[in-house]
Order: sequence, then structure tokens, then C-alpha cells
Amino acid sequence: MRRGLGATAALLLAAAVLLPLWLVVKQAVTPEAESVAWPPTWWPAAPTLANFRLLLASVELASGLRLSLLVGGLTVLSTLAVSFPAAWVAARRPAVDRPLDALLLLARVFPAIALAVPLAVLFVQLGLYNDPGGRGLWLAHTLLATPFAFFILRAGIRRVPSELEDAAQLDGASRAGAVWRVTVPLAAPSIAAAALLVFLVSWDEFAYALVLQVTNRPLPPLLYYFAAFSYPGAASALAALMLLPALLIVALLAPAIRAGGLRGSGR
Amino acid sequence: MMRRAACWALLAPLIAVQGLLLVYPVAYAVRLAFTDPLTGAAPTLRNYAQIASDPLFWRAARNNALLPLASVAVELLVGLTLALWLSRRFRGRGALRLLVVLPFALPEIVVLTMMRYVFLPRGYANAALLAVGLPAVDWLVPGSPLAWLTVVLVDAWHVTPVVFLVLLAGLAGIPDEVGEAARLDGAGAAARLWYVTLPLLRPALLAALLLRGVDALRLFATPLVLTGVEGVPVLSSYAYHQWADYGNDAAAAAAASVLAVGSVALSLPLLRQREGW
Repeated sequence: MRRGLGATAALLLAAAVLLPLWLVVKQAVTPEAESVAWPPTWWPAAPTLANFRLLLASVELASGLRLSLLVGGLTVLSTLAVSFPAAWVAARRPAVDRPLDALLLLARVFPAIALAVPLAVLFVQLGLYNDPGGRGLWLAHTLLATPFAFFILRAGIRRVPSELEDAAQLDGASRAGAVWRVTVPLAAPSIAAAALLVFLVSWDEFAYALVLQVTNRPLPPLLYYFAAFSYPGAASALAALMLLPALLIVALLAPAIRAGGLRGSGR
Repeated sequence: MMRRAACWALLAPLIAVQGLLLVYPVAYAVRLAFTDPLTGAAPTLRNYAQIASDPLFWRAARNNALLPLASVAVELLVGLTLALWLSRRFRGRGALRLLVVLPFALPEIVVLTMMRYVFLPRGYANAALLAVGLPAVDWLVPGSPLAWLTVVLVDAWHVTPVVFLVLLAGLAGIPDEVGEAARLDGAGAAARLWYVTLPLLRPALLAALLLRGVDALRLFATPLVLTGVEGVPVLSSYAYHQWADYGNDAAAAAAASVLAVGSVALSLPLLRQREGW
């Protein structure tokens, strides 16, 4: 009786989570004509890779993918460069930590659209609006991702005792040398986790991308555009393509999530 | 110890980014919101008067207050149920936990695109109803209570894992002996949950509530993708609408300022509760 209840709950849970996911994969390998037919099928009658071929041949995908990878990669570099020194100071000096913590928490909860609109107006004046190289979006994503990186890095640096840095300095290293040779290698798992999470934040981000890149679209607004203009096959194929790196990164981050390393980052 | 100057030098990049990309645009938005876009006169409340005379703004403001309440309530209820269930020890628990967390690993726009295909008039939800002999339902009719509920459910589908993870960590922190002692004293399962587990889980519940509460206020993509700007408007989609469809920067800034003040006000208790999460 009890056992049956648990099995039923497990089955319901699996259906609720996996069914929508299956439908997107199904639509991606279903011919366009079948996708728009009524009633819809639950299993592709004639599976095809035509959607992917069409998608991969399109100019929008090539430029969108390039832009998403470029902005994601640059955001990782800039965010880590900005966050690591600050996270180190915060980890070592509690007096600095408190106001910094508050500032970054506020940045973390600030509504994207409330910031995206004035940024768009300013970027128009600066020539960064709808930039083909995504420079405006890169700046916005750096701002967005900084709190995530800061909280993870600070936790990682706190786990490295400051006595180790002191010992390295007694052996003749400069303060910067001690951090570079002792703290950075020991905090490497946190740095890697922060880099992955920052890339994921940028890869998934929709609101800033929608507002700041109106026609030079990275993948998330491109998917919105495809779906809004009812190309179910192309949209689903793109959705499936976007899923792969996201799932891969989450799988890589899973040990860190389990260890509580991402606590407070809100992911 | 570090000198003051070195300390500031290390903080400078972060402070510059926050200052140039957060503080300055916000100040600029405030100026925009209080400047007459036609005459340049400032300060003026003209932009606020304009959005206040727009029924869509009031629908957006009301939704922005009620949608977060509903979705956070659903997420806490479902998240708590799942966390209580999956904190017990049984075979297959690990796989089920993975299943619960999976939706949050998906990019938001992928979830929304997918859910749109589910809830469109000729979508999979209606196909399923039809298959069991029930009439089709218009899930996303603009302004309908059902569209509102669909937005809540889709949002909950995506972010309940956050609540689940926070509560699961909270439950793991409660020693088994506490429940065991209550059981020996004759407390039933319901009494143990109400008088023992929930009070001990309070910090985690509060953390989940605040964390999700401030995030839910920023709701934007879910109502926009599922229902467009007028279906289930919220302040973010209203500001976007004013900016993108009317090119009215000032009205967009005015609407966004209402939301920003609300978000910051609600995040203050989160700041004070900081230790717990």
C-alpha cells in the first residue's frame, strides 16, 4: 500500500519533469508538417534530422552561436578578473566583507529590465547598442554575473587558511606571489566552479540579450524569435542545441552544488 | 597586514563595474523618469501621471504583487512536500532527487518555448485532454484567470528545485534523534511534522521564501513568452512594452522605478537574514 503510493508519486514526478523535455526533443526530430498538424503526435512518425540541417545552415544560427560563445567567454574572463581580488579582500578582512556583501546582494536582486532600459539608452549614445561584437551585452553580463562569482570565490578562499599565505611570505614570497602560488591553486575548484556558473548565466540569459541585441541576437532571443514566428521544428532543434551545454555544465557543477559550494549564489 | 591603499586597489575593479553599470544607469533612469520627454522640464511627475492613466499599468502592478505570492506559495508547498519525501532513506532516492532538480538546469527560454507548445490552443495539454475525452481548454487567453494560473505553474515548474534544495539542506541539518524522541513520546506523523520538523526548519523556510520572493518580483520572460505583453502583464514586461513598442524611454523608466523600489525594499529583510542561506 505504502509502496504503491511511493511508486505512483515517483511515476507522476517523472512524467511531470520528463514529458515536456521529451516533447521538445520529439519536435526537433519531427518534420515541420507533422509538428503543426492536429492532433499532435507524441512520437515522431518519421524521425528526421532535417530541422537540424536547416538550422545549422542558417545565417542566424551561425552568428547567434558565435555571439553567445563570444559574450559567454569574455564574461567569464572579465567577471573572474573583477571578482577574484575583491573576494580575496572580503575573505581576509571582515570589515570590508559586510558592505561588499550588501552591495552585491542588492546587485543580485535588482530587476534586469529596470537596468536594461537605461543601459540601452546609454549604449545608443556610446555606440554599444546592438553591437555586432556584443560588447554592450558583455558589460551587462559582467555586472549580472559578478555576484555569483564573488560569493563562490569568497567561500573558496575562506577555506584556504591565511596562515598558509603568511608562511609563504616568511619563505620570501611577496604577498601577491603568496596568493598566486598558494591560494589560487588551493582554491582552483572554486575558481573552476565560478567560471562554469558564469558561463552558464551568460549562456541562459534572456532579458538583457532581448533588449540590448535587437537584431544581432545571441541564442536565447533567437530562440524566442524562432518560436514567436512559429517555426516549431527550427525552434525545437535550437532549444535542443541550447540544452546540451547547459546540462553538461550543471553535471560538472553537481559535486559543488552537493558540497554546498554554491550556497548563496541562488543557483 | 595589508595597507589601505592596496586594499582599495584590489576592490577598485569591482566597485568600478558596479558604479558604472549599476549605480550610474540607475541614477540616469531616475533622471529620465522625472524629466518631461517633450519639453525637457525637470523634475516633473508627468511620466508617472501618464502610466497611472494606463489601465495596462495597473493590471501589471496588480499582477506583479499577486503573481509572486501565488508562485512562491506553490513552490514552497511543492518544494516542502518533495523535500520531506526525498529526505527519507529508500532505494532510488538519488535518481528522484536528480529528477526534481532537472528543470532548473534548463535555460529559462528553453523551458518557456517548450511550455508554449504545451499550452497553445493546438498544443499537447489539449491533445491530452482530448485523448481522455475532455474538452479542450484555452490556457492562455489574455487576461483570463487560467492564463494567470498557467504562468504561476510554469514558473513553479522551473524554479521549485531552488526551494527544494534549500529545504533539503535544512532537513539534513535536523538530527534523526529529535523525531525519534517525539515518536517515543507518542507523537503521530502529523504532530511530529507540525511541532518538531517545521519549527526546526523555520530558518530554511524563511531563506527559501525571501530568496524566491525577490526573484519572483522580477518575473519577466515567463508572462512575456507565454502570453505576450498584454496577456498577463507585469511591471517588467510593461516597461519593456513602453520601451520596445512605443520608444517611450521615460515611461519605461518610470514603470521600472516602481518595480526597483519594491525589489530593493523586499531585499532588506533578506540582507538581515543573510547568515541563514
